[in-house]
Amino acid sequence: MNRRTFFMFMSPSLLVMLTLMVFPLLTSIWLSTQYMTFRNINDPEFVGLANYLDVFEDRKFWQAFTFTMTFIAIAVPAQISVGFLIAVLLDQVSSRIRGIYIAAFLMPFIVVPVVGTLMVKQLFESGGIVAWAYRALLGSRFIFTEQSVKSLILVHSLWAATPFPLIVFFAGLQTLPDELIEASMIDGATRLRQVRHIMIPHLRSLFVFVGLISIMDAYRVFDSVFVLTEQNPIYKAEVMMLYTFRTAMSVQRLGKANAMSVITVVMILVVLVPFLLRTYKEQTEER
Amino acid sequence: MKRIENRYVLTVIYATLTIYALFSVIPFFWTTLQSFKTPRQANSRVPLFIFEPTADNYTDLWLKTIPDDPLLVAAVLVAIFGLLAFVGMQARRFPFPRGYVYLGVLAVGFAVLWSIPGYVRTQTFYDYFLNTIIVTIGTICISISIGCLAGYALARYSGIAGVIILVTALGFRSLPGMAYILPYWWFGQRSGLYDTHILLIITLVAINQPFTIWMLRSFFMNIPKEIEESAMVDGANRLTAFLSVIIPIMWPGIISTALFTLLLAYSDFLLVRILTQSNWTLTVAISKYAAGEDPGHITLAAAAAVSAAVPIIIVVFIFQSQLVKGLTSGAVKG
Repeated sequence: MNRRTFFMFMSPSLLVMLTLMVFPLLTSIWLSTQYMTFRNINDPEFVGLANYLDVFEDRKFWQAFTFTMTFIAIAVPAQISVGFLIAVLLDQVSSRIRGIYIAAFLMPFIVVPVVGTLMVKQLFESGGIVAWAYRALLGSRFIFTEQSVKSLILVHSLWAATPFPLIVFFAGLQTLPDELIEASMIDGATRLRQVRHIMIPHLRSLFVFVGLISIMDAYRVFDSVFVLTEQNPIYKAEVMMLYTFRTAMSVQRLGKANAMSVITVVMILVVLVPFLLRTYKEQTEER
Repeated sequence: MKRIENRYVLTVIYATLTIYALFSVIPFFWTTLQSFKTPRQANSRVPLFIFEPTADNYTDLWLKTIPDDPLLVAAVLVAIFGLLAFVGMQARRFPFPRGYVYLGVLAVGFAVLWSIPGYVRTQTFYDYFLNTIIVTIGTICISISIGCLAGYALARYSGIAGVIILVTALGFRSLPGMAYILPYWWFGQRSGLYDTHILLIITLVAINQPFTIWMLRSFFMNIPKEIEESAMVDGANRLTAFLSVIIPIMWPGIISTALFTLLLAYSDFLLVRILTQSNWTLTVAISKYAAGEDPGHITLAAAAAVSAAVPIIIVVFIFQSQLVKGLTSGAVKG
């Protein structure tokens, strides 16, 4: 296929992505230099970098930043290690039973995030099964507080996001040559040593891939936090996306919200750039 | 590979897997159970597992008044949609292109759903359901049409421009959606498109386009070049060859990608929440049930959650083999 035909075929898709992804991103940068509320959408006022200064001095923004980072630091390693453990165990089970397990494991992955969050929340509502167990074991009622909502967000993310690493690792384990395992068994390697010296090195590139994707997903988590803090917006369990949302839609400071989203985009480049370079190298080699 | 024979170890493995499986499905199980309870039963001190089920939560959610002969209405609807599903599955046996069959089935199905409020008094929840269908189907049709052209070009072109487009698109897809959605909101306000289906559709198409072209490309790469080359030797130009030779054998890949587009469009929350005021989709509508003071809100929320999950579970169940194909094609990167 020559260059001309390529661009002819590409043009509708490219046009859509340029006008609705590249252009909005530039608009966002422009909006971030304006003072804009719902009242002056049509004639915003240019304020330079004042919105950025405002964000950097905003204590609540830094609280949201800290919680987002804590969330990533706990949720991502938890998802990956649980996913890996279950994938390794699943690999040991006979293939007939696997199907049932996989179907169960994929349920949280398929269901709409908002629905999944509502369902997890049901367990903790008064009359919910976990709330009941909590009372039976600890003797006190489960109540929604800042701390408990934060833990709930983590539990939900483990529930909803673990199937992805699980399935990727499981698929990766299927490509592991049997000879390697057999040879190591003849050498007298124990199961644990096989995991340590054969499986983990074999899956190394997948660990990087899954890790980067999970970090980016955890970074932009919104739906579950929104639903879980809807109970009471005063909770300080806000992540950066939620705080940006509230700044735009409740406080109506659109310029400031755009400044925040520009800042969050710049911050995620730390992870995104290595990820893209890696993909670029892969794709040019495959070509 | 030699399997583990030690019974003790095997028991531990099965126990761990089962506990994790329970962890995965308990929210579904419990929410479904709660959705068939009265508020009083749902709030009981000790969880009830055996009780007299009631459908009140569902009828409250969907209907203003219950029709005189609910069973007849239900039977007619099941018959119509069963027939449509059957026609859709047999699409390849018809003497004309499959695309027309799928479009016909979708059009008739939607016409039936559209006409229901004329016979039964429905709640606004039903309107959100219709909005969801309009938005997801619209997104799928546009997204797949332009995505097929692009995916095909990317699979066949070997220049560096293709790789650069793919990687850049992936980069844009990985950014937090907020960066696009606030400008969309501003466009919407300026152009008067705010709170319309068309704005939701074009923005959902754009946001999911990188994913769509990656996935379709991986399917097109599995189709040997010789197929369209032989057609082009016979005098067809590339576009004709693409439409008449490639697309007919691409249907499994297209259906698979359409399924993922459906899941993405259906589950999108942030974009729809910001760009609409009243024309919500189900996903946004049910988030309203997240909190409430009256004791009835728990069972209503459960019914809403189950109602929004069931369409997706039905679709996934019907197309499970395509879903697996998509997952294993290696293109699904969130």
